[in-house]
Amino acid sequence: MFLTGTHLPRRTFLRGLGAAIALPYLDAMTPARAAAAARAQRLICIEMVHGAAGSSAFGRQRNLWAPAAAGRDFDLTPTSLRALEPFRDCLTIVSNTDVDPAEPFTATEIGGDHFRSSAVFLTQAHPRQTEGGNVRAGTSLDQLFARRCGAETPIPSMQLCIERVDGGGGCGYGYSCVYADAISWASPTRPLPMIRDPRVAFDRLFGMARGASSAPGRDRLAEDRSILDGVLASAARLARGLGPADRARLSEYFDNVREIERQIQQIEAHNASGELRELPEAPLGVPDAFGAHVKLMCDLQVLAFRADVTRVFAFKLGRDTSNRTYPESGCATPFHNASHHGGREPRILEFAKINAYHVGMVAYLLDRLRRTPGGAGSLLDDTLVLYGSPMGDPNQHNHKRVPFFCAGRAGDAIPGGLHLQAPNETPLANVMLGILHALGLTDVERFGDSGSVFDLQRTENRG
Amino acid sequence: MKVFVALFVSAFALAADPATMTGTWTMTLHAGHDIPTALVLKQQDTKVTGTIRLPTQNIGQLIDVDLAGEFVDRTLTLSGAVEHADPPATVKITGTLKDDGTLEGTLAMHTHGVPWTAERFKERKPSGF
Repeated sequence: MFLTGTHLPRRTFLRGLGAAIALPYLDAMTPARAAAAARAQRLICIEMVHGAAGSSAFGRQRNLWAPAAAGRDFDLTPTSLRALEPFRDCLTIVSNTDVDPAEPFTATEIGGDHFRSSAVFLTQAHPRQTEGGNVRAGTSLDQLFARRCGAETPIPSMQLCIERVDGGGGCGYGYSCVYADAISWASPTRPLPMIRDPRVAFDRLFGMARGASSAPGRDRLAEDRSILDGVLASAARLARGLGPADRARLSEYFDNVREIERQIQQIEAHNASGELRELPEAPLGVPDAFGAHVKLMCDLQVLAFRADVTRVFAFKLGRDTSNRTYPESGCATPFHNASHHGGREPRILEFAKINAYHVGMVAYLLDRLRRTPGGAGSLLDDTLVLYGSPMGDPNQHNHKRVPFFCAGRAGDAIPGGLHLQAPNETPLANVMLGILHALGLTDVERFGDSGSVFDLQRTENRG
Repeated sequence: MKVFVALFVSAFALAADPATMTGTWTMTLHAGHDIPTALVLKQQDTKVTGTIRLPTQNIGQLIDVDLAGEFVDRTLTLSGAVEHADPPATVKITGTLKDDGTLEGTLAMHTHGVPWTAERFKERKPSGF
């Protein structure tokens, strides 16, 4: 590829030994395509398991998840969402919705909530109870969006996770492990595997899958060099043909790529040092600390959006029945045990600390998106981040009044600054159908068990 | 499996009669937190037989326990041996039919007893399979 002109195709890569790095938006890129890419909507779907303290009777009374007031004048102070206060102008909280497809439909499904719920979150479809290869749920929301925009980026979508999700066969109650391991479904019968190792995600996003698999890539890893080393010459040639603003953008972008790569290398070096690991089974690239892992994955997503490598992420923060602890949350009780709060008020309040901690991770992501230039301002203006759980009150293993919000404007498609209380028994699928329409998929008439399209722009409280 | 299907069929046939135990119940064991499990019963005169799916200490692992007993004066009494249990164990279930059609009672195994409630389970057919 010749990189000497001032007009660059949007899909320009810097190629070198063992690497092919996509570029961020530059003024020099072909104006029409660059403008189209700059205006593009982006989507991050985040699932957390085990519901929320605010979905219990006491939690609703104390507004531990949803604020008391609907409309614009909501108070996040008592809620687990309080870390999102700086983003309230682009925050849309939708409360009081149910995920009925996660409920048991047959006698043998009773009690199997932990083993089928994750498959329901983004599909809103009832999974077939099977431990075999004939799994079936539905096409997930992220994949419907990826079908529309995936051809415009090198990677149509990517699936990331934090917990170990490599169970094989059956996981319990007659369900295949894939139902608990995957949230992204390319079709009702094709769950997509999730990437836990930041190194794998990094190489796939920025090394275009050449980094660790080709001989030069392996050498680079062994010698602790940078993926950028192989493209320095072509980067210098490119920079000579760019204006000052583009040169600055390119330099900052390379700095960001290098910084993330450096973090991963440090983690790998630490994990290979022989020191006792908290997660001994985890790949070398996985930080032991939950917060460090989540933030690194968030940084990767933001950088990938910046370079327009992909516009769609599904991000699974937990795994059902996980007993991971989150010391930074202020609650020492393991996650699954904490979720089984027994209806006792002090324990519900403890569980709410974990919920708030998890939401704080989303605040980090939103902050990074807001600080990153996008098409019409910041990447947060172009992006929709949705966050929720397919479970409601985990103490009852129910799927009613599930926690859910979205943030970002998806290019002015969703106004934000709203708490929308749904009428009782509203399917969350209605909300997801509204999101699909906001993302431009207005031809989708039904999604999961949706009965109508939930209006994400209304300001009156119909709850 | 054939037995299970047969029980479902008769459950549907007789579910309209609130005084019969016949049918599938969503039983919730209140053991610190709520554990839902399936209780499938068949009643003939006062005699009741059926199955309970008991969760084990290994999350996701279940044991089906066959039950036998009676339903007299709105009181349900059932028991069944837990196969392969070490030490050997018997499940004893007692419960009362309430005016709203739900059940509540106690499930005892070894020396432990946990309260439970149950409501009739309405089977649904998933679409698209």
